[in-house]
Amino acid sequence: MSAVSLRDVTFTYPGAAAPTLRHVNLEVAEGDFLAIMGANGCGKSTLCKTMNGLIPQFIVGDLEGSVTVAGTDVATAQIGELAQRIGYVYQDFENQLVRPTVIDEASFSCLNFAYDDYVERGMRALELCGLADRADSYIWQLSGGQKHLLALAGAIALEPDVIVLDEPVAQLDPYHADQTYKVLRELNEKYGKTVIVIEHHTDFIAEYCTSAALMANGTIAWKLPAHEALRRIDDLAASDVHPPQIALAGRELVRVGALPENTLLPTTVDEGATAFWGVPFIPRERAHAVHPVGESAVSFRHVDVSYRSVKGEPRRVFHDLNLEIRRGEKVALVGANGAGKSTLMKLMCGLVKPQAGEVVLGDVSTRDIGPDELSERVSLVYQNPEQMFIKDTIRADVEFAMRARGVADAAERAAALLDRFRLADLAGHDGRLLSGGQMRRASLAVGIALDPPILLLDEPTANLDIGTRQEITKLVSDLRGITDTVVIATHDMQLVCQFADRVIVLTDGEVIGDAAPDEVFMNEDVVMRSGIRPPEIFQMGRALDCRAACYTLDEFLSCFPAWVAAQRGEKNEIAVSGDRDGRECA
Amino acid sequence: MPANTGYTQSQKLMTFVLSMSLYGLATLISELIPSVQVGIVEFSVEFFLFIPLTLAMLFDPLSAALGAATGELVFSEIMLGQFGGIGELEKFLTVTIALYIAGTLVRDPRNMRTVAIVSLGCTALQLAMSAGVDICKVVFAVEEFEAVPGLPESVFFTEGFALANDLLFSGILFCMLPTMFLVPRLYGKIEPLLGMKPRTPQNAPEAPSAKLVIAAIACFVIAAAVACFAEAGFTLFEWEAEWAESESAVFAGIAVAAVVAIVAAFWARRNAQLKAA
Amino acid sequence: MIEKLSESVMDKVSIDFLRDQVLKNAYGNDDTPIAALDPRVLLLWYLFFGIVPWFLNDVVVLLGFFVLTVVTTRVARVAPLVLFVFAIGVLSQTGYTFVVSLFFEGNLDTLASLLVLTLKVATCSLASITVFSGLDPDRLSNGLLWFGVPERLSFSIAFAYRILPILMEELQNILLSYRLRGRAPAHDTLMGKIRWLIYQVKVVMMSFYPLMLNTAKRSRTTVEALELKGYRYASTNTKVLKIKLSSLRAGRREAIFVAASVAWVALCFVVSRIVGL
Repeated sequence: MSAVSLRDVTFTYPGAAAPTLRHVNLEVAEGDFLAIMGANGCGKSTLCKTMNGLIPQFIVGDLEGSVTVAGTDVATAQIGELAQRIGYVYQDFENQLVRPTVIDEASFSCLNFAYDDYVERGMRALELCGLADRADSYIWQLSGGQKHLLALAGAIALEPDVIVLDEPVAQLDPYHADQTYKVLRELNEKYGKTVIVIEHHTDFIAEYCTSAALMANGTIAWKLPAHEALRRIDDLAASDVHPPQIALAGRELVRVGALPENTLLPTTVDEGATAFWGVPFIPRERAHAVHPVGESAVSFRHVDVSYRSVKGEPRRVFHDLNLEIRRGEKVALVGANGAGKSTLMKLMCGLVKPQAGEVVLGDVSTRDIGPDELSERVSLVYQNPEQMFIKDTIRADVEFAMRARGVADAAERAAALLDRFRLADLAGHDGRLLSGGQMRRASLAVGIALDPPILLLDEPTANLDIGTRQEITKLVSDLRGITDTVVIATHDMQLVCQFADRVIVLTDGEVIGDAAPDEVFMNEDVVMRSGIRPPEIFQMGRALDCRAACYTLDEFLSCFPAWVAAQRGEKNEIAVSGDRDGRECA
Repeated sequence: MPANTGYTQSQKLMTFVLSMSLYGLATLISELIPSVQVGIVEFSVEFFLFIPLTLAMLFDPLSAALGAATGELVFSEIMLGQFGGIGELEKFLTVTIALYIAGTLVRDPRNMRTVAIVSLGCTALQLAMSAGVDICKVVFAVEEFEAVPGLPESVFFTEGFALANDLLFSGILFCMLPTMFLVPRLYGKIEPLLGMKPRTPQNAPEAPSAKLVIAAIACFVIAAAVACFAEAGFTLFEWEAEWAESESAVFAGIAVAAVVAIVAAFWARRNAQLKAA
Repeated sequence: MIEKLSESVMDKVSIDFLRDQVLKNAYGNDDTPIAALDPRVLLLWYLFFGIVPWFLNDVVVLLGFFVLTVVTTRVARVAPLVLFVFAIGVLSQTGYTFVVSLFFEGNLDTLASLLVLTLKVATCSLASITVFSGLDPDRLSNGLLWFGVPERLSFSIAFAYRILPILMEELQNILLSYRLRGRAPAHDTLMGKIRWLIYQVKVVMMSFYPLMLNTAKRSRTTVEALELKGYRYASTNTKVLKIKLSSLRAGRREAIFVAASVAWVALCFVVSRIVGL
């Protein structure tokens, strides 16, 4: 019997011109671990809401076709009955937590369905999610990763057969995302739950899922076993899902004849190690980056910071921190959530004042100048772009700081900025109502409106699908020429590799690594302790030769003499034809 | 005709939650701004009434009104421990009624003239109800109210002055202007976030039915009467207490005994009720 | 010097501080003897100390009541901010009246009678602070639920404590954006100070525009999640009520608390008699 089955489902939101779901057919077998991939806005979340009965019972609209979950017809069943068959974790899971304490939240649904042993049931769910020791904590005391696990615990407390998660990785750092997936795997393998995730991180799909479906234009394009699905490189790329880099590398090697035609494209590091075995691989020597010796932009001198806590001792974040950031440096700040990245950022822009020691910007301490003067020296773009918008149009937001300072040509400068970030058409829109990528671009425009010499970006690529993410990564890389000193806090190692000259690794408020990206990623101790996850292609390179340090597909491929030779041949051809073209143009 | 408003249960609950959280937070903040009092004239400025008022004009008025009143009760009274007992009931009702009526009167939020007039009217209504209760309190509390020379005039004068003054401050500065700022900016933007269509004259909620208005007024009158009676009770007794000190203890004793008896009866009944469930 | 001082006071009274204090008040004291008591007993206890003082005029007894509520407030470990708000409330009510009464040939007698009034107000307020701030929100809402208060209110209380930290953080971020990107008028001169004040008020008002949109986005998920968790289903089910309230248990501890309170009240009356003689 199928755990979930959708037959010819079409759904139109009230007032919408076109249906969001068109003739969707999907069968999910019992015990499956399915990933649903697809570009933003292709109807993935809507699809999930038809499974748990929110559509059509709670969200009105026009629904055709039939949906059954574990043998129950969704259209006629009570939502309460359905809740015991299917659990749901939202993408913005934080808003799904409605009770003050952890055990309360986990057992809330069991209480509402009048189970006498609701506390035990909640406790069991917490144990499954590894949160049993936090049962009596308040929700605001939890970290982001723990909140996500709690949302999951709340969803499985009623012991549903099917669990649906909407983009679990989007809001978490890689370490916590891994944790959530491990819990899901256990639920799937040990307890036989059917798990459906909306996901476009192919590395997670390759590692955890058994099958994957691609959604495009409101319908399911195909559903295949996970590894087979990930080899469909062209389909994935067309839907803004970034295919695994290892598969891409495999295809290139097949193309140049280094691997036989009938090779199954590898999708994980392990598969890659087997597939590429025997193909000559020579790691390139990398020149070590030289530390620039410039004047100091920011310097931390013996900084102590701790936060008031509701009960007991204040929580200490930094103790005797010393750090120097020089002018012109492009710095990436990495480390797990709660390691102190955000606090470091806030120290630099004066939002947090150190209890001891001082933070010096150029020649003045952050203590001695007001916030509005500081914002001319340093600008922070928040992790959540919505918080950058305080006005009702993005034009007004970009102009706001300039107008407040009486900049004469504020309107022209704002228009130029909006043009630069390809927002001119959206200038009259409210920032909060834009799509993820547009919102991010707008927040960057707001951040550099005052042309600050130091720019701080907090997780600029979080919560974006891969296509948008690459766009933003490029935009940020372009800032290299414009803004002098840039510091980025991020979990996105791809961004780190493409952008940073210097990586600072924080763990528990301590700098455990501070060097060029190469040195940091090659240092296994630092990688282990900080829980950072180097890009997959880097791990692939290391698996073939421990001296290899490749960050991009091209760097990886150029370690294969066969590929380089073939490439050179092609280039000559191109060059020859280019010459001819050139002559013709002339 | 129950399908007149077209708001679903979920939309009502969303409006309630939204209004409760926002107005609750706002009153929590304004609770910390000390109130200015000159004699019995209190500048009871409702700094943030514009928030639920805006919501009542854009969404289901009743949910927005109830949400706001609940939010104030929970955030500023219970959370800060400033629960004032029976007097809070009066505030709860005046705020709910005023917001509800204001919300139903705006049929097209794009019409700025209506928005302006209604937002001013809402404050006026709320203040008038409060002033009415205040006057009743004095009338009940002072025996032979009419007979005391000058008293009626002075009470009416001070209450009227307070009302006019509040109307000027709360009504125009803190209610009308911010509402006129917010409504056009939020219109068409905030509704889709909650999965609703913006309000137009075609789908606007019906004005309250006569039955509902009567029920609301009845509620209010009862509340006012209770408040007055409570006030009157205190004052009358203070009068008496001046003559006979010792009687106060006796009276308190009797009252306590009565209350204990009532509580015990209620306790037993409630337990039985729950056991039966 | 004064400039520096006011600056540091302004710094302290930030939203951050406010959030910290409210959270401390709500959750920081859930291990006190008061918090462990049965909420129903505490609510009744509040009813007594919130009403009875109004019927008394005996300074000694009132003083005794006042001392008791001071002790319970101390035991409940109420956050300083709440006490500050309380103090402001009491002072503004009676202190002001005394100053005004001086204009009308008030004297020490006036002060004495005002002292009585102050004691009454203070006792009632402290009793309410003890109960509403000392209890953790969930127990409080269970207590209210037991007395038949609508379920919506008790849910609102629990939800308010959940949402408050989120809302405060959001508001704080918005205000920060204004502070960083905007530029407040200089406040050296009196006119400047007035302009500065108006600017600040305007900023707080305008902050609610983004806050409303952001909260609207959140509340949709929240309400859908509530539906999935069967909240609507539960609110009409008495069995759920029974399970919820089965955790309430009045036992020895409550008996001791009530006995101690009664003994103290009795002692107050006895002492008052003796002193009176």
